[in-house]
Amino acid sequence: MKSHVISGAGLGFRRELLPELKAKVPDSVSFFELAPENWAGMGGGSARELRAFTERYPFVCHGLSLDLGGPSALDESLLQRTRSFMQQHGITLYTEHLSWCADDGHLYDLLPIPLTADAVHWVAARIRRAQDILGMQIGIENASTYLIPPGAEMTESEFIRAVVDEADCLLHLDVNNIVVNSLNHGFKASEFLRALPLDRTCYIHVAGHYVEPDGLVIDTHGADVIDPVWQLLKEAYALCGAVPTCLERDFNFPELGVLGQEVEQIATLQANYAMHKNILQRAVA
Amino acid sequence: MNAQLPFQDFQFALASHLRHPHRVPRPVGISARRATIYHGLVRNNLEGFLLACFPITHKLLGVRRWPRLVDAFFREARCHTPYFREIPREFLHWLLTSPSLPITFPAWLPELAHYEWVELAVDVMDVPAPVYNPTGNLLDEQPVLAAAAMNLAYVWPVHRISSEWRPRKPSATNLLVFRDAHEAVQFIALNPVSARLVALLQAAEGVLSGRDACLQVAQELQHPEPELLLPHGADLLEQLRAAGAILGSKK
Repeated sequence: MKSHVISGAGLGFRRELLPELKAKVPDSVSFFELAPENWAGMGGGSARELRAFTERYPFVCHGLSLDLGGPSALDESLLQRTRSFMQQHGITLYTEHLSWCADDGHLYDLLPIPLTADAVHWVAARIRRAQDILGMQIGIENASTYLIPPGAEMTESEFIRAVVDEADCLLHLDVNNIVVNSLNHGFKASEFLRALPLDRTCYIHVAGHYVEPDGLVIDTHGADVIDPVWQLLKEAYALCGAVPTCLERDFNFPELGVLGQEVEQIATLQANYAMHKNILQRAVA
Repeated sequence: MNAQLPFQDFQFALASHLRHPHRVPRPVGISARRATIYHGLVRNNLEGFLLACFPITHKLLGVRRWPRLVDAFFREARCHTPYFREIPREFLHWLLTSPSLPITFPAWLPELAHYEWVELAVDVMDVPAPVYNPTGNLLDEQPVLAAAAMNLAYVWPVHRISSEWRPRKPSATNLLVFRDAHEAVQFIALNPVSARLVALLQAAEGVLSGRDACLQVAQELQHPEPELLLPHGADLLEQLRAAGAILGSKK
């Protein structure tokens, strides 16, 4: 019987990768991550193929459409369906972005939340409700942003810390997003990392990004991981131990072997650091 | 509903600008460059879900009309599904119900788009796996249809439309789209009689014998001697079994 608790290095589970994954999963991959919005409620061949993997590997649910920061009512039916999907597949960790993706209808992309005290209370109440429905603590991910809404009452790291404290939730640390934001907004990635509530870190993302001709960095998940991201990952491990870490790749897929090497690189780095204390036990209990 | 909070004013203002950048000014304090980046990301992401589902509709509308339709969908529709695979369904609903669309198109286009969506819908339809006897007698016993199936009646011959051929006049078209035992989506053209037989079997959910279904169709056709149609009915049921649309008989 596989363990439901993730550890080590993982890979985003994408339909485009299925033919190669069915032939052989790279040895470096210890778990997979999927978006419940892509897989929950799905029937047919895709559902059967997913089942074959969730029976062999632990999975993480990484949400895209929960709209934690949005002005519309929280989508409780999405949470209920996600809960039963997680039970069906023995998934014990759910994370979402600290962002919003809908006004009075979905925009299907992640937008920046104004950094105000009102927004902290609003988002924290929604996270608490989500945790009640899912019956576990969830992780919230620091998002990539291309603008900072006007009227900020605090810095982004202060905002994240305030939300995590008030919601009593976990931190899903995306080191690529820190690098992207540090380049787009002009701050030091390392200082930002150290200002986060790292004792709450349950999970880490690394990914590649794209640089526009004018230097603006777009978080595409469509390229290899760059060196500054690996450096920041090392720093994160030094601060919080070898937290389970997933490589995100959403398009422009190379051969699976290339992704396997990047996952291997994560696992190699992790071996140099103490095992992360399993903060997830609280979530699972 | 509670009063809107000040930070939510910004959210509605930004979303409104992204949906309609040429008409709605961007919120104060936001650079044009950064607003443009978001507009491109959100709009193109949305278009990506539509392109994956509607390749023929896209091709036939062409580079002038298709983007205008996508822009209008982004601007005017309000999608409530959190599931990306359901965005095409929301698009269809909008296309069929919107009081004013920014482009003109042939009368058959909405049916073509529906037909393209059906392939996706049947592919991912979440239905329990039926229990059946694959070699059972289809007249005496109750035929079991593929669980993921849509029995469709179109006004236009949607399955023949391509960039090489477009219909000039309507031609009633019955199509059965289903997921076979290997989970592959299959399409078969039916005539009105076989479409009616399939509809009866589908509605009866395995309680109607093949014989009773055939006799009912014969009655509806006001056939003077319904029994005479039974051999044809049996042939038809066997053809549907050979095609994979009928899995077998109820166990």
